[in-house]
Amino acid sequence: MTDFFLTYGFLLVSMLLGAMLGLSLYLPLMAGQLSLASPGFYALGGYVAAILSTEVFQVTGTFPIPLLLLEMLLAGAICGCLGVIVGIPALRLRGIYLAIATIAFVEILRVLALNLEITGGAVGIFAIPQPFQTPIGYLWVAGPLLLLSSFCIYRLERIRAGRAFTAIREDELAADAMGINPTYYKVLAFTLGAILAGVVGALSAHFFNTWNARQGTFDASIIYLTFVLIGGTRTWAGPVLGGILFTALPEVLRAIADTSGLPLWLAQFLRDGRLIIFGLLIVVGTLFFPQGLVTPGLLKRRQRGKRSSSTL
Amino acid sequence: MWTLFFQQFLNGLSIGSVYAIFALGYTLVFSILGIINFAHGAIFTLGAYFTYVLMGGSFGVNGLLANAAFPVDLPFALATILSSTLAGLVGVAVERIAFRPLRRRRADPLLTVVSSLGVAVVIVNLLQYLVGAEIYTFPPDTYGGLPAAINFGTVAQPIPVRSVQIVIFGVSVVILAVLTYGINATKFGKAMRAVAEDATTASLLGINVDRFVVLTFFISSFLGGLAGTLVGSSVSIAGPYFGIAFGLKGLAVIVLGGLGSIPGAVLGGLVIGLVEAFVPADYSAYKDAVAFGLLFIILLIRPQGLLGRNFMQKV
Repeated sequence: MTDFFLTYGFLLVSMLLGAMLGLSLYLPLMAGQLSLASPGFYALGGYVAAILSTEVFQVTGTFPIPLLLLEMLLAGAICGCLGVIVGIPALRLRGIYLAIATIAFVEILRVLALNLEITGGAVGIFAIPQPFQTPIGYLWVAGPLLLLSSFCIYRLERIRAGRAFTAIREDELAADAMGINPTYYKVLAFTLGAILAGVVGALSAHFFNTWNARQGTFDASIIYLTFVLIGGTRTWAGPVLGGILFTALPEVLRAIADTSGLPLWLAQFLRDGRLIIFGLLIVVGTLFFPQGLVTPGLLKRRQRGKRSSSTL
Repeated sequence: MWTLFFQQFLNGLSIGSVYAIFALGYTLVFSILGIINFAHGAIFTLGAYFTYVLMGGSFGVNGLLANAAFPVDLPFALATILSSTLAGLVGVAVERIAFRPLRRRRADPLLTVVSSLGVAVVIVNLLQYLVGAEIYTFPPDTYGGLPAAINFGTVAQPIPVRSVQIVIFGVSVVILAVLTYGINATKFGKAMRAVAEDATTASLLGINVDRFVVLTFFISSFLGGLAGTLVGSSVSIAGPYFGIAFGLKGLAVIVLGGLGSIPGAVLGGLVIGLVEAFVPADYSAYKDAVAFGLLFIILLIRPQGLLGRNFMQKV
């Protein structure tokens, strides 16, 4: 068991981080807003942590965990503020305009990160101090964080704000007519997503040890979007499942490719064609599972099934 | 000073006109379906690669098709027309796979956006898998016997402009003229505008909407492929992803001009091309952010774009 955790520690933590990134994209989507800004906030959060831990806190040896948590808090706060600043003008826009505005936002941040001195230019920031000896140690932070964020979103889906999100998603003008302030709730959803992405970014910067402009790109947007779309766009469990499955997918494909008896071309395709498979899954997923794999109906049916079986 | 200004102005016009014909591809599809085809950038890449192959260029050592080459090398003009047509056919296939099934089901437009993104990911990574991520440069004599630069000034005060830029500008202007004529003055263009205005009414009046959608995709992707060839031959093909970056800039162009507006796409392209050309050399690293900065500003002040119409939203 220890062996297993040592070998797959990196992958396990990556899977949890992927699940949270999926959630950060899911939050604006709850209010029907297709925002691709998550990688931008993720990259920003990472830079906050990377700069703080290498320039501001002069720590030798193991990086203290309280400082890590402080960085995550700060990253979340900064991304939250920026989320409000960007969100208020951007969310007056509907549908596709918002997606384009967020793509522009991510690209501007990327060009800035590539050219500013404080972000280390194209090389980025490396040798970020480590709070844990092995990658698996990060599970102690990533695990609770995922549980906490999942629980918060689970609750959010069942309170007033979450209901307002759903109303806006179904029909913004009708929701407006019912007395829901669409801009307020859209900015709220967007900002919550930004905060989560920033916090995850701060943790990831330590986890990956280096941070550069490649972290926040349009490609990353598409990958997180896949997490949510294939996982499910109607309940919190969807993005979590999607993030976990899709982060593990390359490893699974590699494992399949290593099984003997496969034709050579197929094995090679499984190893190098990961993104082709991603793209195909996006197309097939939108065609056949427009709401993703996990739908609220599916969860309810299971609960009902359990209840009836327990009474019997 | 004046010389430099004139030179940059011509450069800006040239790149701006490519932005314009590329963005027109987005606009045509958007005006008919109300959807942005995110695979357009991938089509752009395909166009450039097709032309490169048809001109007899060979591939690098990476990828499945390592060192393969097309046996015939066609002249640039013929190769461009052929490759743009091929790109157009790919566009028709994209419509069949990613757009039509969702349209039949009256799915949320955002879902269609996502499935077109999926197609883009497949095309770009398939290309990378087949030919690797190397930079491909067109042969130096691509444009036949044209000199490298043409002097627009006097002998004493030369204003050299790369002839590539002039070719690009010329081709773009011709394409724009043909398109404007086709859409505004022919029966066929009238039918297309009718479909764009209201597809249901158009079909009641005996217009085969599906056929016009397919045709629109063909023209749109033809323009995308052509833009890819022009940019690829003037600079180089910087790997399969170069169309994605260009595609994002194209989005800035159409939003700047106004979604769904044909003159808007042209104006937006020229504005962004010119603004980029006049970015001071010291700040050239920030050039790629200029288009997006402009886009953000325009979204704040005038969300419908420079020439866009403001639509009434109804429940």
